[in-house]
Amino acid sequence: MGPLHKTGRIEIGYNAPSGDRLSQKACYHPSVLTVPLPARIAKRPERLGGRRTCNSTSYRGDRMSVVEESLARIREFPQQLVPLREELLANVVLIGQIPAPTGGEEQRARFMLDRFVESAVDEVSADDLGNAVGLKYGKQGQRTIMLVSHLDTIFPASVDHNIVVHSDSIVGPGVGDNALGAAVISMMPDVLKALSIELDSNLLLVGSVRSLGRGNHEGIRFQLDHLTRRVDCGIVVEGMQLGRLNYFSIGTIRGDITCTVRPEPSRSYGAESALVVLNHIINRILSIATPKRPYTLIRLGKMRAGISYDTDPDQAELGFEVISHSDEMIETVQREIEDIVAEMSARHSVNAELDVFFSRQAGGLPFSHPLVRTVLDVMTELDIPPDQGHSPSELSEFISRGIPAVTLGITRGEKNTKQPDHVEIGPILKGVAQLAGVLLAIDQGACDES
Amino acid sequence: MNPEVWLKERTFHHSAFWDLKKMVEEKERQNLTISLCLPTLNEEQTIGKEIVILKSELHDRYPLLDEIAVIDSGSTDRTREIAASFGADVYLASEHLQQYGEYRGKGENLWKALYLLKGDIIVYVDTDIANIHPRFVYGLVGPLIHDEEVHYVKAFYDRPLAFSHGLRPTGGGRVTEILIRPLFSLFYPDLAFILQPLSGEYAGRRSILERIPYPIGYGVETSMLIDIYEQLGLRAFAQTDLDRRVHRNQETVALGRMAFGVLKTFLSRLTRQQKADFHVALSDIMRQFETAEGQYRQVEYKIENIERPPMIEIEEYRQKCHPQTQEV
Repeated sequence: MGPLHKTGRIEIGYNAPSGDRLSQKACYHPSVLTVPLPARIAKRPERLGGRRTCNSTSYRGDRMSVVEESLARIREFPQQLVPLREELLANVVLIGQIPAPTGGEEQRARFMLDRFVESAVDEVSADDLGNAVGLKYGKQGQRTIMLVSHLDTIFPASVDHNIVVHSDSIVGPGVGDNALGAAVISMMPDVLKALSIELDSNLLLVGSVRSLGRGNHEGIRFQLDHLTRRVDCGIVVEGMQLGRLNYFSIGTIRGDITCTVRPEPSRSYGAESALVVLNHIINRILSIATPKRPYTLIRLGKMRAGISYDTDPDQAELGFEVISHSDEMIETVQREIEDIVAEMSARHSVNAELDVFFSRQAGGLPFSHPLVRTVLDVMTELDIPPDQGHSPSELSEFISRGIPAVTLGITRGEKNTKQPDHVEIGPILKGVAQLAGVLLAIDQGACDES
Repeated sequence: MNPEVWLKERTFHHSAFWDLKKMVEEKERQNLTISLCLPTLNEEQTIGKEIVILKSELHDRYPLLDEIAVIDSGSTDRTREIAASFGADVYLASEHLQQYGEYRGKGENLWKALYLLKGDIIVYVDTDIANIHPRFVYGLVGPLIHDEEVHYVKAFYDRPLAFSHGLRPTGGGRVTEILIRPLFSLFYPDLAFILQPLSGEYAGRRSILERIPYPIGYGVETSMLIDIYEQLGLRAFAQTDLDRRVHRNQETVALGRMAFGVLKTFLSRLTRQQKADFHVALSDIMRQFETAEGQYRQVEYKIENIERPPMIEIEEYRQKCHPQTQEV
């Protein structure tokens, strides 16, 4: 077993704040920073139910010993999980082949609930929004750790969801985002059993619905806003990429700009293509100055217009996102885009509308948070090179509610490229071992703060 | 058994057997062993998923299957490697019972599976199924476990065909409707009640499978039905609706060759059972035509009606599977 906290040599990744800088500034909560990074402004303190740590009663010395004890076991986990490999892969296939566009995740949720029942999870039910929820009681039940993966995909049900299993990879739409994550959540009770782990903590397993796009994390928000017991710690499980360690979320807005040509009589001059007007808007957006510090980026992600070569489109749509370490910068950019859209709408006599449907504040854990350090210890023990960065995942929902949380990935793979989505089979057991290791360490007090 | 009564009592839907826990308990109570045979020839696109799902659900999670084996006809792609990597037992058919000659074909693989596998019940599932699901096995095993009178269970489906742009809702079973059902209606009307006699998925008890001959090629599904019917009658059969089966489409000319092989097997049963008599030897040559540069060209396919004897007649098999009773 390696020494405790072998993380001193690990460079803090792109966009990541330094631990020192973070620790110099006070925040409303010693465990969770809901601040723009690197500037720190506490957010939404009214939503926090007081001090929140994994368990505030333990001592640092105790923590070191339990972490060492946990880490000693973790290196053996991948080998111990080999008998579960085919079951895990089968779950990836069976879940991945169920179409689950945002808002249509019922069958995937049903599958996950059935798995929970088969694994004798103590409380199993779908919540009012359709999230699949399973609660496995801990021996003590003093803490509750939530594991969540989103069930929806970007693929409409009309896409062929057939999945192909090769000897070294699984190929199919949405297989890494997030059939694999959902499969792992479905199997966590079996994984813990195979590793002879009986947690003292309650384990709350959630397959969340309506996460992507305009779903805007509705499922996890609903679940976190209607908890029947306090959640002390959250882990967001994504299929990709192994080594990913997200513990802060960058400020983000996402929106659509829609240009619709007005009826002919109202035009002040000639007919103008909606696509051409949208092009003017794009050019104006591209001229918005964005600073390197705080890091800010405007990303034009998708566009749709027109149906044939010989017809001016009467509607055009642009999808964009703005990300920044500073919520103020995001507000500034959003205001500028609003002005551009209003001006172009008037100048070109089209109906141009801006709809910002997704908004996420910046915030996160400090690098020195025990949860972050624990994950790094586990990764080191399993020879997983950590890749620290921000995450647009459900992580921000935990952070904004004062719940320490990280996002972890299970294996390597690709998505949303010209090639079909795929994940590598080889690293999966290591990714699952990592998750079990983190759970075990949290359960044994590794994240408790003195 | 009246075939209409049979149709009502012995036609199941796979959902009747959803309770795998109970089925495993009943299997263990009866002290049965069950083997899954997957005959393959260049199925690298589907074999991995098929083994992963069936092994996971029906071996690891619910131990319904005691053995999962691939019997391969000599694939030139990665079929055998992929199958082995997910824990299936992999056999190259040509390496076993070599003293009895070497043939290639699905029937050959099924015949050798009797020798190579250990189960009291053997389940045969084709490996070109894109939408593989555990029901393809438990739906067939269920009637055998629940009724000892049943010896052989056949699958039927709604069979959409997979095309590059989605699914076409119907079109499977062309050889069945154009060839087999008319022939069964003429000569074996009871067997006409079997909805998809050519489906590639079925399960049977070793006690009957070892006592029937196996055509090495296309005719094996047809011969099984006729030969088991001859020995045990309709009451030994059951059939299960497995819902949808997505598979590759076959061109009409390929189905023509299949029909030729099936017909030869059928006619051999007619003559053996003295239901018909032919005064000339039947040809082994199937003739099809293709056009090239304005010319018609005949293409000949040799499709022999070679059959393996009942496995029980093979000495090595009796030594392995019936060591106590060499006299059969």
